[in-house]
Amino acid sequence: MVEAFAVASGKGGTGKTTSTLALGMALSEDHDVTVVDADMGMANLLFHAGLAEVETTLHDVLVDGGAPVEAAVYERHGMDVVPCGTNLADFEAADPARLREVVATLAADTDVLLLDSAATLSSRAAVLPVVLADRVVVVLEPTIPALSDGLKVQEYASSYGTETAGIVFNKVRDADAIERIAPKAERYFEGPTLATVPASDRVRTARRNGRPLLAQAPDSEPARAYREAAATLSVRDGDSEAVADRFRSAVVPESP
Amino acid sequence: MKLPEGRLVRSRVVEDPRTVLVDALDRDLTGYAVFEPQDALLLDERGRGLVTFRAGVPVVAYHTGTDRAGPPALADLAAAGPYRLELFALAPADLAAVHDRPAFRVPPGMPAERLAGDQALADRTREAAPPARPSDDRTGEGLAGATGGDAEGGPDDHQPGAVEAFLDDEAKIEAIREQARAEAADRADEWGFDDVA
Repeated sequence: MVEAFAVASGKGGTGKTTSTLALGMALSEDHDVTVVDADMGMANLLFHAGLAEVETTLHDVLVDGGAPVEAAVYERHGMDVVPCGTNLADFEAADPARLREVVATLAADTDVLLLDSAATLSSRAAVLPVVLADRVVVVLEPTIPALSDGLKVQEYASSYGTETAGIVFNKVRDADAIERIAPKAERYFEGPTLATVPASDRVRTARRNGRPLLAQAPDSEPARAYREAAATLSVRDGDSEAVADRFRSAVVPESP
Repeated sequence: MKLPEGRLVRSRVVEDPRTVLVDALDRDLTGYAVFEPQDALLLDERGRGLVTFRAGVPVVAYHTGTDRAGPPALADLAAAGPYRLELFALAPADLAAVHDRPAFRVPPGMPAERLAGDQALADRTREAAPPARPSDDRTGEGLAGATGGDAEGGPDDHQPGAVEAFLDDEAKIEAIREQARAEAADRADEWGFDDVA
């Protein structure tokens, strides 16, 4: 039984990867969670999860005659994490078509699949995780361009039949203003505000140390906010086979 | 808001308001920028946005179409881009009259943070701002020291912040959503997503 979420933002720098891992860790208390770096052109999950030195990544699985997906799955912080490499030549050698099979395989053996998605809507490969997921979590900052891009992500998602699970306001510096901004934003988003996460140096420290926020600073305000978000996000029991089939039958993403 | 024309220092089409703010800061510009959205979809949103600068730091904002000033004017000039941008240099004395109107002011970092979504640029702009901008207090700059940001106006201010004003503009939001839906549909054909959806 599995539900696949794309964690997306449309705009870079909103803290999408931090959010993906934080939601993943929080959800892993009650579910089997698998986190996949689906941002194959700008991978950075490996740095956040302390996997920068690992031998095998998603890129190695996606090349012709490559490693089996199991070789790129790492158990970290109570989750299964599938990092992607950062070498551009590897990215070019990778066959994104194989991603469908990889995700279909992973879907068979987990409750929650979190796809850390690309911060752009400009290519087929970047949009694919949003298309294939059951629901999308939109990560926002309380700024005009982030909201505007977040709305675009939602429209793309719903155009392709993907629902909005909710929004996360990240890097919040003005607690009073967000009280007024969040309800106004909710009028336009189909899901609730899952959390408002305060800006914090603890997030930067966690990233620098290669540890997910919930491992580095579990009692910090941002960590608490992400746990609330995970509690608000009621995971549905999807049919693993249906999810796997959806991924298997998906269109082949264009080469980068 | 009346301003002398000034000396044109730059005229071009830019995709992102951030470019303008970076340019003004790097040039240490005293003068003003005129933003004119080129987006055909938002053509009924006629009018131009104006932001003045003193030594590269934004001081006041105004929109000729909505006749709003201060943070809401930033929301009014936010568009999908591209913008026709013109930057004009003026003598500080020519700006004194408009800079003396507290209701027109925006906190120094707000355009970079809220309009351009660039926190690093907002920090750099705040550092370049003179230490005291006391007349900005009513737009929440007084709180900014404590929170590290430019507060979005308060419930007692009769003026919403830039982000709130943006979210209050239902027509603009609907235009953004419609445009995205149209784009998504076009690309579904182009990318062959029809089978999936």
